[in-house]
Amino acid sequence: MQSSVNEIIKDLSQVIFGKQRQIKLALTCLFSQGHLLIEDLPGMGKTTLSHALATVLGLSYQRVQFTSDLLPSDILGASIFNSNEHVFTFHKGPIFSQVVLADEINRAGPKTQSALLEAMEENQVTIDGEKHALPIPFFVIATQNPSYQSGTYPLPESQLDRFFMRISLGFPPKEAERKLILGTNNRDYDGLPVRIAPQQLIEIQKQVTAVTISAPVVDYILALVTYTRTDNKFANALSPRASIALGKASQAWAFIDGRDFVTPDDVQAIFASVAQHRLGLQHDMSDQQISQLLNAVNVPL
Amino acid sequence: MNIIPNHKAINLSLCVIYSVVLCFIFPELPPVFNSLLVALCIWNGVTILSNRNKPNAVIANILAALSLFVLFYDVGFSDTVTLFVAMLILSSLFKLLQATTKKHYQTITLLSFFSLSTVYLFSQSILATLIISTLYILNFSVLALIESKHNLKVASKKSAKLLLLALPIAVFLLLFLPKLPAFWQLPGPKLAKTGLSESVNPFDIAKLSNSDELVFRAQFNDEKPPQGPYYWRAIIHDEFDGKTWLISDTLKQTQTHKPIKHNVANESLQRYQIFAEPSSQPWLYGLAVATSEHGDIKVTEDGLLLRSQFLSNSINYSVKSAPLSSMPISRWQRLQNIQIDLAENTNQQTQSLAKNLFSANDNDPQRFYSAMYNYFSSNGFSYTLTPDPMTGDNTLDQFLFSNKRGFCGHYASSAAFMFRSIGIPARVVSGYLGGEYNIKSGYMSVYQYDAHAWVEVYIKNRWTIFDATAVVSPERLNGSLSQHQSLSDEFTSNLGFGLLRLSNIAGFNWLRLKLENLDYQWTSWVLGFDQQKQSSFLKDIFGNKQLWQIALIALATVTLIFIGYFIYLSWPYSSKSSTHPIVNDYLKIEQWLIKKNIKPESNETPLLYLQRASYALPEKSNYIEQFKQLYSDVRYRQLVFSAYRKKRSSDLVKLIKTKTKRKQ
Repeated sequence: MQSSVNEIIKDLSQVIFGKQRQIKLALTCLFSQGHLLIEDLPGMGKTTLSHALATVLGLSYQRVQFTSDLLPSDILGASIFNSNEHVFTFHKGPIFSQVVLADEINRAGPKTQSALLEAMEENQVTIDGEKHALPIPFFVIATQNPSYQSGTYPLPESQLDRFFMRISLGFPPKEAERKLILGTNNRDYDGLPVRIAPQQLIEIQKQVTAVTISAPVVDYILALVTYTRTDNKFANALSPRASIALGKASQAWAFIDGRDFVTPDDVQAIFASVAQHRLGLQHDMSDQQISQLLNAVNVPL
Repeated sequence: MNIIPNHKAINLSLCVIYSVVLCFIFPELPPVFNSLLVALCIWNGVTILSNRNKPNAVIANILAALSLFVLFYDVGFSDTVTLFVAMLILSSLFKLLQATTKKHYQTITLLSFFSLSTVYLFSQSILATLIISTLYILNFSVLALIESKHNLKVASKKSAKLLLLALPIAVFLLLFLPKLPAFWQLPGPKLAKTGLSESVNPFDIAKLSNSDELVFRAQFNDEKPPQGPYYWRAIIHDEFDGKTWLISDTLKQTQTHKPIKHNVANESLQRYQIFAEPSSQPWLYGLAVATSEHGDIKVTEDGLLLRSQFLSNSINYSVKSAPLSSMPISRWQRLQNIQIDLAENTNQQTQSLAKNLFSANDNDPQRFYSAMYNYFSSNGFSYTLTPDPMTGDNTLDQFLFSNKRGFCGHYASSAAFMFRSIGIPARVVSGYLGGEYNIKSGYMSVYQYDAHAWVEVYIKNRWTIFDATAVVSPERLNGSLSQHQSLSDEFTSNLGFGLLRLSNIAGFNWLRLKLENLDYQWTSWVLGFDQQKQSSFLKDIFGNKQLWQIALIALATVTLIFIGYFIYLSWPYSSKSSTHPIVNDYLKIEQWLIKKNIKPESNETPLLYLQRASYALPEKSNYIEQFKQLYSDVRYRQLVFSAYRKKRSSDLVKLIKTKTKRKQ
């Protein structure tokens, strides 16, 4: 299992140059059964990463481009009258696939956004009083442009909380960008081999939950979370859901690292991605505040 | 249904526990019921070992009902203790057969604590105690296994520790908590086993002495025990009905009377201690005219000792004995009459023999007494433990004139009858003769096979022992039956299995005597530590305090210790004491590193810090890396901080802190 995880990282690194850390974070999110939010400027490779992820993991994939006039039924599906048989039949929307890429989610209106987010939370869709289960595994990878850009409806905090992690790709290193310019096609994700079956992915998710998380690590997470609650620098304190997410993400990170136990280093590695979007920070200050927070809390011995 | 991870180990351990309990109590239960229990044990074991399904509830319940019928039919209601013990074990085994859930196993484990304790109803020897204690440990570990995923080895280590910790408390309570008299008593489960009985009728017995059970031990206060033979008197049979010697009702009534005062000089009294094994029978044992001041003992006019309560536990008492000759004939006319009463129309031949013998000796009782010995020694009588059973009305005639082979009972009853035929008061006394003297620790063990019967006759105003067995088989007088060469073959063939059988082999005899000695110590120090001993012990320590005061002090001490311990447990720890021990080692390294100007940064994790240190100090990097690995294993991987790892950790700290010797 570990070898296939390493191969996945290697494959993805060939598509997204020089972003191994972000790739590992994205995998961490999927292995801990969370939904991923990628936030960055246009043209940074968000879509490429999500598409490549779906391909390597061998999952069915649908992309929904969110626009301001997108309606909930465009995502979920709708009951349409069949005039031959005189019945309403349900036509599944793009959400009924294992990986849904919600591109530029903050360009759609709040109604459409919350339709997606409710489906994410409950793993099922209810239309005309009828429940439709979503496939297993089910991931939403949403991308969004930074909220200061024009024509965006920023996601409210309560809905941001539904995303397990938020990562941003950032500009590529110079060497990597040189390769891009020289014409190595970074959108070549169709040629990627499928490394694991969905069944194996579920198996990995199970193994991740079995990773040992010892008392000092839990203490560390608690200390971090408590700090956000007692210090008034943060608009929103971290909720228990965030604490759980920190624990799970640390486990997944340790698993990807080939260990069956979590160390405080794992917590530090994933902390920003899990906590940043939940703290309601000013955008330009957020990285700095996170590192301040990490500096302020001592690592329990 | 929650499957328990260790259910196989749990099941097998419980099977083992119940099998051993069965080994201990099988002599108490009838064979059919025993085989039923054994079958249940085996069924349990096989089901577990072969991973078969447990029988379903309907079948098990039907079987249980059937087994109950077997129980009631086979064990019967007469002995309630055995009945309830049997019922407890039967139901536990059936429960085990059906157990699937955690709750079931917990119930059974709890029950098996009781089942284990029932063994003490039947055996209190040191061997039984050791085995049962081991099983207690096993049972505790089963209890632990139900809740945890440890293996049996870890669990039993823990429970052994637990029991060891409880041992001081148990000893303390045993010593200091005053024993209360029993609120209720068990009806004796030992009923069928004693070597003595209220009546003596030797003639229908074909086989004797097949019990090598210990009856009592005696320790003399003087360095050396007085010269034998030792006639340990227990019962006086004074009524003869033509066949059987019985205890007359008159005698039974007088037995409850106040003890006699010895009218003998104090020096000529024999003083000794008796450690009597549990028995459900009232009679106890003493030499000649015995008296005791023990509170639980009644002393009769005839110098016999009796338990005042039918206690089935062991009893330890000190005795003073006066010579037999000091005892007067009963003041009661009725008793005197009974003691010369004959069943006159039986055994005419014997009566005339006695009369002839008497007149041939000038009607002198003293000479008749000697003549009786001569008669028994010269007329071809022989001693045997396997006599031919005799029937009919004139059994004494048959024995004296044709059969002439018998054991003590035969000789005692015919001799007593002959004395009575000529009007000399005589009675049959049963008890024990001799005993095995353990020179090393100076005590005498008396076993059931030492049971004996002899005659006491009243001649010239004093009671004298007449023991015809002594002339027929003189060796019988000294030492124990087991040391009796000429009879030993016959004797051992009658014995059950046991070390005694092997006593001819030197090594085994040594081992047997050692074990004997150990068991004696156990009996005299632990089992014999009764109410009286305790109260004198407590008096030595506390002086003349009331019993309840001592009880209060003892209980308060224990309670205080426990409360102190719990306060200690829940005391809010200072930060230092709550840290993991390896953290202390880590802090030592950190301090050393700070001196080397490698300071930890604010958000640096321990592992990162050690990593950085190992880069910064290449000559130590090997040790620091090893410590880092150890730290992560113990702290994050949650491996046990075993003694080995503790040693490794402190070694690494030393290696890191000592200066590197440069060899170049």
